[in-house]
Amino acid sequence: MKTFSTINRRRWNCVFVGVMGLTIFCMLWPGSAKAHRINVFAWMEGDFIHTESKFSGGKRVNGGEIIVYDLEGKQLLSGKTDADGEFSFKIPRKTGMKIVTQAGMGHRGEWTIPPSEIAPTGPEQKVSPKTSATSKPQIGTTSVSLDQIRGVLEQSLDQRFNPVLKMLAESQDKGPTLTNILGGIGYILGLAGLAAYMHFRRKSAEIEAGKKD
Amino acid sequence: MHISEGILSGPVLISGVALAAAGTAIGLRKLDYERIPRAAILSAAFFVASLIHVPVGPSSVHLILNGIVGLILGWGAFPVILVALVLQAVFFQFGGITTLGVNTMIMALPAVFCYYLFGSLVLKQPRIALPAAFACGVFSVFFAGIMVGLALTFTEENFLKVSYLVVASHIPVMIIEGFITAFCVAFLGKVQPGMLQG
Repeated sequence: MKTFSTINRRRWNCVFVGVMGLTIFCMLWPGSAKAHRINVFAWMEGDFIHTESKFSGGKRVNGGEIIVYDLEGKQLLSGKTDADGEFSFKIPRKTGMKIVTQAGMGHRGEWTIPPSEIAPTGPEQKVSPKTSATSKPQIGTTSVSLDQIRGVLEQSLDQRFNPVLKMLAESQDKGPTLTNILGGIGYILGLAGLAAYMHFRRKSAEIEAGKKD
Repeated sequence: MHISEGILSGPVLISGVALAAAGTAIGLRKLDYERIPRAAILSAAFFVASLIHVPVGPSSVHLILNGIVGLILGWGAFPVILVALVLQAVFFQFGGITTLGVNTMIMALPAVFCYYLFGSLVLKQPRIALPAAFACGVFSVFFAGIMVGLALTFTEENFLKVSYLVVASHIPVMIIEGFITAFCVAFLGKVQPGMLQG
């Protein structure tokens, strides 16, 4: 009987080692970080909004459907991503926008552009003729209007900041980390432990009840 | 196979939750204590398998392993897959919390179905156990693709078109899972035959 149980234990050890091996193999798999989530990222450049859609892990969404809604949920426009997962459009209305990418088979991701990010150029531009009118006497000698300065500034700022924004987006786009994976497995082991605890509590209660009899 | 949040309509989500809850209740009743460690190992394997990625066309496809889960646990596949899906949704953002019910149905129902189709062949007919296990792996993914088509039908797309697309893009996964399931059955048959006895 004893030998049987040791053999049994050895077999279990084999299974355990096999499962652990598979787990480690999965983690080291080259494409392990690539999978199912879609990350959408959008940034402004002048009057245009550029979007980039990727699966988590960096594979680009080729030919995915892009739908742009305003924040009330009304559809503004739609289009398809190119081979690099990019899609650009002219801002149809100065309002907050929600950009949704769908890649078929139930894959979906979204990015929201808050009104604050788009609005500043709207109201300020409306205000700017007044300010430029009032400030004209002061500037007087310069032939460049405030609007032009603002335009040039915005352009160069866009150029400067777009790489940074892209980098930010890429740093957000992290696949599952080792912590996530081990955390998940830990939860499963914990649940199994909980089930074992419940079982043995019931069993020891039964045994004690049996002793009393 | 994970359907993201915000795609399915309310009635589909709710019926998915109801059906998955019923399946999980049956599964928990059938999952006695002796099978808890087995269930935990399979749940962990299912949880991690989704990280093994096969690039196909515009989309990404990963291993599912619902065939082997169903084969070893039968109805126990429901709670096991539900637990793994919750963790995948929380840790990996695959699928989502509102779509848990539907996603559980998509992957667990084919597992149970394949258990009834191939279980007795694998367990009681040693001669054809391996081909049957292979078929179990293949068809559990195939039926999961059909389930995705079914779930999406009510919201946006054409059933045949979506099912075809999902199944076609999962053909590599189907073949790999067939081999994995056959390998597991062969391995367990030699090392731990008790694990295969339902």
